[in-house]
Amino acid sequence: MLEIKNLHVKIAEEDKPILKGIDLVVPKGELHAIMGPNGSGKSTLAYVLAGRDDYEVTDGDILWNGESILEMEPDERAAAGVFLAFQYPMEIPGVAGLTFLRTATNAVRRKRGHEELTTPEFMKLVKQKAGELNIDVEMLKRPVNVGFSGGEKKRSEILQMALLEPTLCVLDETDSGLDIDALKVVSEGVNALRSPERAMLVITHYQRLLNYIVPDKVHVLAHGKIQRSGGKELALELEQSGYGEFGEKAA
Amino acid sequence: MTVAVMKTKAEQSFAEGFNEMRATLPGSAAVREAREGAARRFEELGLPHRRIEEWKYTDLRSAVKEALPARSGDKLAMTIADVIVAIGPLAQIDAHRIVFVNGAHRPDLSTPGSLAGLEVESLASTLEDAQATEFALSGFAGQDSNAVLALNTAYMSDGAIVRVHAEAELEKPLLLVNIRAGAQPCFAAVRNVLEVGAKASARIVEAFVSLPGAAGDGQINTATQINVGDEARLTHVKIAADDGSGVTHLANWFARLGKACEYRGFQLTQGVNLARNQIQVAFDGEDAKLDLSGVFLGRGTDHVDTTLVVDHAVPSCESRELFKGVLDGHSRGIFQGKIIVQAVAQKTDGKQMSQALLLSPDAEFDSKPELEIFADDVVCGHGATCAELDKDLMFYCQSRGIPTDVARVLLIESFIGEAVALVEDEAINEALMGFARDWLSK
Repeated sequence: MLEIKNLHVKIAEEDKPILKGIDLVVPKGELHAIMGPNGSGKSTLAYVLAGRDDYEVTDGDILWNGESILEMEPDERAAAGVFLAFQYPMEIPGVAGLTFLRTATNAVRRKRGHEELTTPEFMKLVKQKAGELNIDVEMLKRPVNVGFSGGEKKRSEILQMALLEPTLCVLDETDSGLDIDALKVVSEGVNALRSPERAMLVITHYQRLLNYIVPDKVHVLAHGKIQRSGGKELALELEQSGYGEFGEKAA
Repeated sequence: MTVAVMKTKAEQSFAEGFNEMRATLPGSAAVREAREGAARRFEELGLPHRRIEEWKYTDLRSAVKEALPARSGDKLAMTIADVIVAIGPLAQIDAHRIVFVNGAHRPDLSTPGSLAGLEVESLASTLEDAQATEFALSGFAGQDSNAVLALNTAYMSDGAIVRVHAEAELEKPLLLVNIRAGAQPCFAAVRNVLEVGAKASARIVEAFVSLPGAAGDGQINTATQINVGDEARLTHVKIAADDGSGVTHLANWFARLGKACEYRGFQLTQGVNLARNQIQVAFDGEDAKLDLSGVFLGRGTDHVDTTLVVDHAVPSCESRELFKGVLDGHSRGIFQGKIIVQAVAQKTDGKQMSQALLLSPDAEFDSKPELEIFADDVVCGHGATCAELDKDLMFYCQSRGIPTDVARVLLIESFIGEAVALVEDEAINEALMGFARDWLSK
């Protein structure tokens, strides 16, 4: 279970607060959506969960399975089950996709106390998972994400997620830059990973994604706070009314 | 008016050393004359210092404290197993190996026989022959002010005279291995001549490595003359990978490129305390392509200088340079790249880039690109960057569970991999990355 308690966050080198007291609980087996206008702090929340050091937590806590993860390095969080699918996945010229995936998979397995995968074992696994996401394994011989289309990059993120077998998945604006076909493939990939053992947090500006990835709960984040929570119908309501209501309310 | 210039200790002992050993150096009367002329020239020039513009970042006069004695390695007890240890990742390449130890040819440690289309002789054995001497000394015209080369000409003890026959395609790479060995610190002057005939194709690697247990100090002076025939293809790699203990490596490359040839040059420098890699390339026929690249890795107080001059003396040639450095500790990297486009050299296409990754706040990179363009219908450009490891990429790797130390190595390999890939030979690329990985893991 993910518990975010009274979380206050600012940019490390500035004084301006971005998150101003977030309280949120996502139990295992559930998928929650966080929606909100641009600049509301959605991506900051995603980065803080993954442990990016550009941000400073000034108050509050984040508990994963009852333990605070705030003091953990990003790679330790990954080993503990946290995975962030980036809004803009990074390109790494000169590092072959397969090398990157194998290095990451085995690093996480080692820290979780599992045996590392041999090359044949890894190739078998990657072929299976890539196939499910319509990713050509040939593409993974190229440098990580270099020359990939927006859709290919997002599918590559979901492939990483499938290989690392996280228990807390945070998806930051996974729908941005996707056409409708790519959106379907990515959504199917995410849905396939839904399980009673996993908690998922889907961050999105638009309701569209939630037609394909149906959330258990929807939270509206604006001005650094959760302004409203509700069921999946809240997303539809926002699609009609927009975020104007929250803009005025908290100004 | 004469100005009396104080000779440094090193300059004096280089001169004295030459006087002591000139009788023992190989060569005919003509060679002896060339050596003495060079020794006199070195005495006039002295070691290059910072008041000479092209040496302003690398002051050899103050950096080279002493002249180590030349000690031939022709009698040093060594086995092929030692060679395998010394050459490290190069042992994985199926190559024809010619081995030199402390500047002396060792047929007993080299691959017997030869390859189809290839002739290799030891320089020492050819220097008695007037024609061969002419061949070995002819490619260095116009270098009268090059003190490092003068030292090489005076002292050269051995090297490889390589001829690749016209239209031959060498089935295997040729490896010219120079091993520093023995507990006594020494100086070695090596000269290689690479002559690649018209329409031939070859891969040649010059490696300067050391045997574990070799003296902490060492001085290498190497000069290579490269002649790429019309429509020939040559991939030429120099690896200076020493143990980081305190070696000085001074290198000169002089390349002449024939019509429509393709020359790929690459230099890796690591574990060398003081390096000056000087490269001079002259286009001598139209439509030729030059791809010159390199990687230098420094830590501690390492000082690695790459200085190149590319002379577009004829029209319609293409040149590319990409040099990448990784600098840690108090190390310093220097890149000086001069591209000359002469008035007749219309349709020249030249691009140059130097990039450094600084791993420490005390590391330094100096880049001095110079374009001298006298033609008006050309495409030329240069760039230089200097940066730390990308924080965003580090975070991306870490968020995938990759610990910082592993992520660092991955990103450094990715940085230098771009230059290494330009060698375009899978086995050689793998060996180059192997050397770099060894360095990174230390």
